[in-house]
Amino acid sequence: MSKGIAITGMGIISAIGNDVAENYAALLKGRTGIGKISKIDTVHRDAIMVGEIDFTNLELEALLGLSHNNNYSRTALLAAIAAKEAVADANITDMKAWRTGLVSSTSVGGMDMTEKFYYDYLESDTHRKYIESHHAGDSTQKVAAQLGIEQSLVTTISTACSSAANAIMFGARLIRSGKLDRVIVGGSDCLSKFTINGFKTLMILSDTYNTPFDENRKGLNLGEAAAFLVLESEVVVQTENKKVLAYLKGYGNANDAYHQTASSDNGDGATLAMEKALTVAGIASSDIDYVNAHGTATGNNDLSEGRALIRVFGEPGVPDFSSTKAYTGHTLAAAGGIEAVYSVLALQHDVIYPNLNFKTPMKEFNLLPQTVLKHKELNTILSNSLGFGGNCSTLIFSKNP
Amino acid sequence: MKDNPYKISAYCRIKEQRVSVNGEIILENSGIDFPAFIKSVYKYFDTDYPKFFKMDNLSKLAFMAAEILIKRGKIGLEKNQNIALVFSNRASSLDTDRKHEDSIKDLDRYYPSPAIFVYTLPNICMGEISIRHHLYSENSFFIFDEFNPGYLNDYTHGLLEDGKADKVLCGWVELEEDAYDAFLYMVTKNGPIEHNAEAINRLYKRSWEI
Repeated sequence: MSKGIAITGMGIISAIGNDVAENYAALLKGRTGIGKISKIDTVHRDAIMVGEIDFTNLELEALLGLSHNNNYSRTALLAAIAAKEAVADANITDMKAWRTGLVSSTSVGGMDMTEKFYYDYLESDTHRKYIESHHAGDSTQKVAAQLGIEQSLVTTISTACSSAANAIMFGARLIRSGKLDRVIVGGSDCLSKFTINGFKTLMILSDTYNTPFDENRKGLNLGEAAAFLVLESEVVVQTENKKVLAYLKGYGNANDAYHQTASSDNGDGATLAMEKALTVAGIASSDIDYVNAHGTATGNNDLSEGRALIRVFGEPGVPDFSSTKAYTGHTLAAAGGIEAVYSVLALQHDVIYPNLNFKTPMKEFNLLPQTVLKHKELNTILSNSLGFGGNCSTLIFSKNP
Repeated sequence: MKDNPYKISAYCRIKEQRVSVNGEIILENSGIDFPAFIKSVYKYFDTDYPKFFKMDNLSKLAFMAAEILIKRGKIGLEKNQNIALVFSNRASSLDTDRKHEDSIKDLDRYYPSPAIFVYTLPNICMGEISIRHHLYSENSFFIFDEFNPGYLNDYTHGLLEDGKADKVLCGWVELEEDAYDAFLYMVTKNGPIEHNAEAINRLYKRSWEI
């Protein structure tokens, strides 16, 4: 059995709260962050629901103390807020004391500004500063600058909805192989017309509150969020006598090799990812106490993931599981980071969050998500992130190394 | 230098209306544009895969090159084989990017198509091949200024050496308007041809000069 990688700090901003404490309070209260869209002028305003963060860009800029001429996309603004919270939570005072890297992820990058100013760029130079913040790596560079990570590994992962999970996995592997002592890992995605229109075209957006694993689910709600974890090596933890929040015990990544946007009927990729993560963790499926499912509430995902859970755990045999997408919406590249924070909180407080809005079991199998808040001793949690392009990733978190 | 245990078992070239496998010309159809030519290749090799017709031109080129290599190169493709894909080119997905841009550049005739948009990445062509042959394996797509046998050789060697793959399907798939060039080869533990940068470069040249 290999030793887990220590998680020593975390930060988050989502539709249900602007920091870790607010997110946890909302999870306990069963308070959703889903509502009508207010910050994007879209023709789909009345046809969709989203998980939107309350702060405007101006408010976020003020929180970060940015000058008027900054060129931060909303993705970068959210990322900087969450990453700074994570670093403060880990009590990092000297970024240069250890070899520290940053692995951040995004799918939308600076598209929010590009779509706003696309035609304007040709006419005037007022907003051209945002052209340079369009690419996916820009938000990562800005977070690195905010955190003072200058001469180290700073990189960006974009594998659709599994992005942040892959960033976390990559960070853990960098520490395990001795390349770095400390890695800040996570992801950020803001809402944009680009994602709203793309998902609308695929006809997988619900016009009401999303209902994961429900027979009558109508699709997903998009959400915006950012979340980061601080991963540290055993040497850092021992030398600095660090408080460890939880351990990243296993990770697995596989491809579904089925379709560009759909998951395979039997969840081949998700099954492979979960099996690999269990192997890396060196534990049996029966050791998992709770599954934080990807559970986007699309017809395709929940059926495919449900079947994969049955293939890995048996039927009966699937442990308590729930999806937190009904709280935050599907936060795309950030989802794996958001749900990593929620998994660590679940371990710290021995609590399973309810799968909100569930009413009717799916007819394809006998899987019932946890629908009310449940207090139970939790030692090991498995979290799935399944993305377009067949990108499937699983992380396993535990109380003990 | 350490003994190089890896070999090239077969190679395929598609360029200027000509298809060759292992240095032997299989098909020539001069005087037709790429869409007509690649359709004739699809038919010639008795390919039964309707999804082919939805693909963009780069994917059609890469897909048929892989298809032909597997069929004519006598490569057994059992399910769950761990075959990695390592592709490269110069123009990325620019050909399809331009089609997508054409559909959005004019505000009055703004009509982007998801069917085109999904192909605005070069690595999608590897996804099409993975879906076709159920490959759950490593894949990487590199953009170079020109054919780069040294890099392909080193990367492939690394994948095989680290046990990340049992075989690697490698090469160059370049397409921009009517200029196209696909050169794919399979690296395995057995085969008639040496696997090193010089040998790859020789095959790349020879497969066209036949």
